[in-house]
Amino acid sequence: MPVMRWGGDPSGGAPYVYADPANPQSYTGFDYEFAEALAREMKMKAEFVPTDWESIVASLQRKEFDVIIDGFEPTEDRAREVLFSKPYYLFRLQLSVKRTDKLISTLEDCKKHGQTVGTLVNCAASRLLDEGGYKAKAYQDPVAAYQDLELGRVDAVLMDVAGEMFYARQNPKLKSVGKPFKTGAYIVGIRKEDTLLLAKVNTAIERLINNGTVERIFRKWQLWDEEQIKLRSTNQPAFEMTNTKLNWSEGLIKLFKAASVTVLLAFGAMMIAVTLGLPLAFGQSNGGPFTRAACTVYIEFFRGTPVLVQLLFLYFGLPVIGITLPGWLTAIVGLGLNYAAYESQIYRTAFKAVPDRQWQVAYSLGMRPLLAFRRIIFPQAFRIALPPMTNDFVALFKDTSTAFAIAVWELATAYRELANATQSYLGIGLVVCCYYLAMSLPLAHYAHKLEQKLQRKSTGILSSGADK
Amino acid sequence: MIRITGLCKNMQNTTLLRNVNLELESGKILGIIGPSGNGKTTLLLSLCGLLPFDQGEITVGNKSISASESTINSEALWEFRKKSGIVFQHLHLFPHLTVLGNIIEAPMQVSHKTKSEAEREATQLLGKLGITQHRNKYPEELSGGEQQRVAILRALAMNPEVLLLDEPTSALDPMRSGDVRNLLREFAHSGHTIVIVSHSVRFLKGIADYLAFMGKSELIEMNTTEKLMNYPDDPRTKEFLRHSELN
Repeated sequence: MPVMRWGGDPSGGAPYVYADPANPQSYTGFDYEFAEALAREMKMKAEFVPTDWESIVASLQRKEFDVIIDGFEPTEDRAREVLFSKPYYLFRLQLSVKRTDKLISTLEDCKKHGQTVGTLVNCAASRLLDEGGYKAKAYQDPVAAYQDLELGRVDAVLMDVAGEMFYARQNPKLKSVGKPFKTGAYIVGIRKEDTLLLAKVNTAIERLINNGTVERIFRKWQLWDEEQIKLRSTNQPAFEMTNTKLNWSEGLIKLFKAASVTVLLAFGAMMIAVTLGLPLAFGQSNGGPFTRAACTVYIEFFRGTPVLVQLLFLYFGLPVIGITLPGWLTAIVGLGLNYAAYESQIYRTAFKAVPDRQWQVAYSLGMRPLLAFRRIIFPQAFRIALPPMTNDFVALFKDTSTAFAIAVWELATAYRELANATQSYLGIGLVVCCYYLAMSLPLAHYAHKLEQKLQRKSTGILSSGADK
Repeated sequence: MIRITGLCKNMQNTTLLRNVNLELESGKILGIIGPSGNGKTTLLLSLCGLLPFDQGEITVGNKSISASESTINSEALWEFRKKSGIVFQHLHLFPHLTVLGNIIEAPMQVSHKTKSEAEREATQLLGKLGITQHRNKYPEELSGGEQQRVAILRALAMNPEVLLLDEPTSALDPMRSGDVRNLLREFAHSGHTIVIVSHSVRFLKGIADYLAFMGKSELIEMNTTEKLMNYPDDPRTKEFLRHSELN
């Protein structure tokens, strides 16, 4: 039997396609059931290929699978890249807020009060918010969006009814406001050249709608409503196509804003790292047994686990114990804590490289430890530490891109967002690289200059034999 | 004035100093001679409060520390350290500071002198050793002899009661020159005390009022330079002097 490989994103993808909680080895969801039915109708065997939502079109082009079935909506930009089947479901958008919220009853209220609306990246809702000029925040998955709504990191969430049904409707801390609005359609996405497959898929969808299979599936997921009658009456797509053409000048401004967030993250995190590294280094080399052990545990923990995991842990884990930081602050703190571990090791070797006799000379001149450290030891150690610290700072600049995982809108996130919306990975990618270089090259240059300046003054460290 | 009574120092089952007793009045220069590895530098470090000792007491001027006070950073120890200045064998100038910076750092930071006051005094000192023109250079730009002068001035700038010098002849050219000797003599004559550790008897002969011979962690004998050179009491002193004359 021929195989129909279909792509969808199972991460936080309920109720479309997601790992079955009762049996995590397999998947479930209305898209999963629809794909099975569609393949059966075409006398094919369905094979699910898990993929990433944001780059789902690019993965289709790369032939990782043959069709997209993942609550996929037709848009103008996608129309350039993929063929659309007939719609198999008509969705609408639903706004949710906190149960205690009294301010917001429509989307317009959000704009009026300057409230931030959360949604998924690259979907009908995000485009609507973009075009309407709303303050929006785009998430990778609905779980994070609704969780942040609960925690007050966003003021409202706009999402397809399907997602809203599954994640928000049952949540006692949230409520839906207003009626569902703006009809859109879920369709099957197919590669441009596969016109034969498109014809087969369209015939199959038509049959599935007429024989009631589609209705059965969506009723099961409690998503069937009177709107779906339109599926039978019309062959024309009964939906509006949203438009996203890349406006280059606006795109550049958007990237510039994102770049400034990246700069903020990098400098903020480095400040924490540079400061916190000092007590860590000191505690590890000079502290009592307990301090020493605590510092070592800290350092090994942060060096031994991925920074991405640490960020996710801080973002989703800390609210459990009542600490809720906004995403950008979480990124600064998380990266700062992480890099502090590395800085501490740089400091430690740098301090070791300053001869003990320098302390003794300082003491013999009547200096107390703090003064000796500040005026004599630290400046010498700093000179030794500067080159590896510069390295770390440049690395940190690039590591800020991990902040996309916690929905911080920085340069890498902006790249994914713009490139996915426009399918212009190459052009925008080059621009983004230029932005990164424009930030890191001056930094490296300045650090090099500083090193040279300090180098000119040195050698005492080299000529430091031990006295007999 | 220096007084050392019953000074003992052990480290990991090795005796570094065994019951050292010594007294030196103000205005005098003492040279300590002896083969290397016999506790000369250890004695010097204890004398300026940088090395804890196990028994005994050290008095410099009007400040004394006991063995127990020497082991922890106490107020008494901080005060005691101010009494003496030390010039290490390898000098250990502050590489990140200029010549002037090295000299005025402690007067400004510890004695809280104003910058202009500290600089005026430093310039005076530099003038005595003829290295004023180097005031804005960094230590690495100086010759070994010049570096040594800066290290001496750095210690003198704090106006210590006692100046300690560890193996000053190992720096190239250094103490041969008259102006350094003159500076040290002038310092001693103004009522200060100087202790110089050196293996070079010839150098000490020309400058020290007293000589002490150390061997096997003990102070074996001490006398005026004249007497110790010509009429040593102990056979070990005789042996050492005979060897150093041969060299």
